Amino acid sequence: MLTVKFLSEGQIEKAAMQLMAGHVAKFGPVSPPVPVDEILECHLGLSFGIEDLREYGPDVLGATWLQTGRVAVDQSLDPSTFPDKEGRYRFTLAHELGHFELHAHQLRDNGQATLFTESNHPTIVCRSSAKREPIEWQADQFAAQLLMPREMVYTYWRELFGDRPYVAVDEIARLSERFGSTNRKAPTVSVARDMADHFAVSGQAMQIRLETLGLIRTKPAEPELF
Amino acid sequence: MARNAEFGKRIRKLREERKKVDPQFSLRRFAETAGISATFLSKVETGEFDPPAPDKIKRMAELLGEDPDELLALAGRVDPELPEIIREQPKAMADFLRTARDASVSDEQIEAFTQMLRTMNKGKGR
Repeated sequence: MLTVKFLSEGQIEKAAMQLMAGHVAKFGPVSPPVPVDEILECHLGLSFGIEDLREYGPDVLGATWLQTGRVAVDQSLDPSTFPDKEGRYRFTLAHELGHFELHAHQLRDNGQATLFTESNHPTIVCRSSAKREPIEWQADQFAAQLLMPREMVYTYWRELFGDRPYVAVDEIARLSERFGSTNRKAPTVSVARDMADHFAVSGQAMQIRLETLGLIRTKPAEPELF
Repeated sequence: MARNAEFGKRIRKLREERKKVDPQFSLRRFAETAGISATFLSKVETGEFDPPAPDKIKRMAELLGEDPDELLALAGRVDPELPEIIREQPKAMADFLRTARDASVSDEQIEAFTQMLRTMNKGKGR
């Protein structure tokens, strides 16, 4: 397992926004959906492919070769063949960008980046089942911040709903009742689904971001302390 | 692996040079404009798949500002327009091509002859 230093959400957000600013300086203003392909390929000039990544494991969605500046996404996510994978595809790309922006320097400095250079094996292989490792958690945070930047989310929220957050407790209870509560994840509420289309991310990713930004509340308000 | 990986390598090289200044050359946008899936383009570029159909290659050449005949040749494909040209004047054109082949003329000689025909054509237009 690759080890990386602790990064706060604020540090990760700063890195994501710096990357965006670099792209804007070269190619002009960006509005949602954030052009993640272009940030990766045009701004950073990384080599990008959509490939069969099953040789690295059954649930591998993305891979990064730090030494050669290459990123690949698994073919099962190609939105030109599977339009409903658009959100997953973009999130995976943004996640791999996170590895370049947050981890490339660290892994090069401590020699972990060259571990697999000779065998042409990716430096980092990203599985859908390995989300709890710090390196993967950080890259997920980076992806969320890059694809759904705070200011863009607030601006669009204000256009749609004004200044009030949405208390989703009742809707989640209704959805859980209708679709069952076997799933550990909270069901996606309609405002998250609507906004997800605008940012071209999955409803689940949008909902998590809206909760993080305090725009959706999925738990009853805490009782007043005083 | 594809029979001929050179075409894909060339496309990737041309696209990668251009994408750094123009986002329409990103993998996905380029594939979309050329009328193929992003996965297909990606696999052609790595040499896993054979080059696409001639009309797609011509479209790629147009987008990249490259000579379509050169890319078609690299892909080992023939412009679908060519059989049509022969069909329009089947006897004369077939005779013309066979004679040129049997005379073992060089590329330079063909180019000089083509240039001469172009000049004649321009004269007709006046």
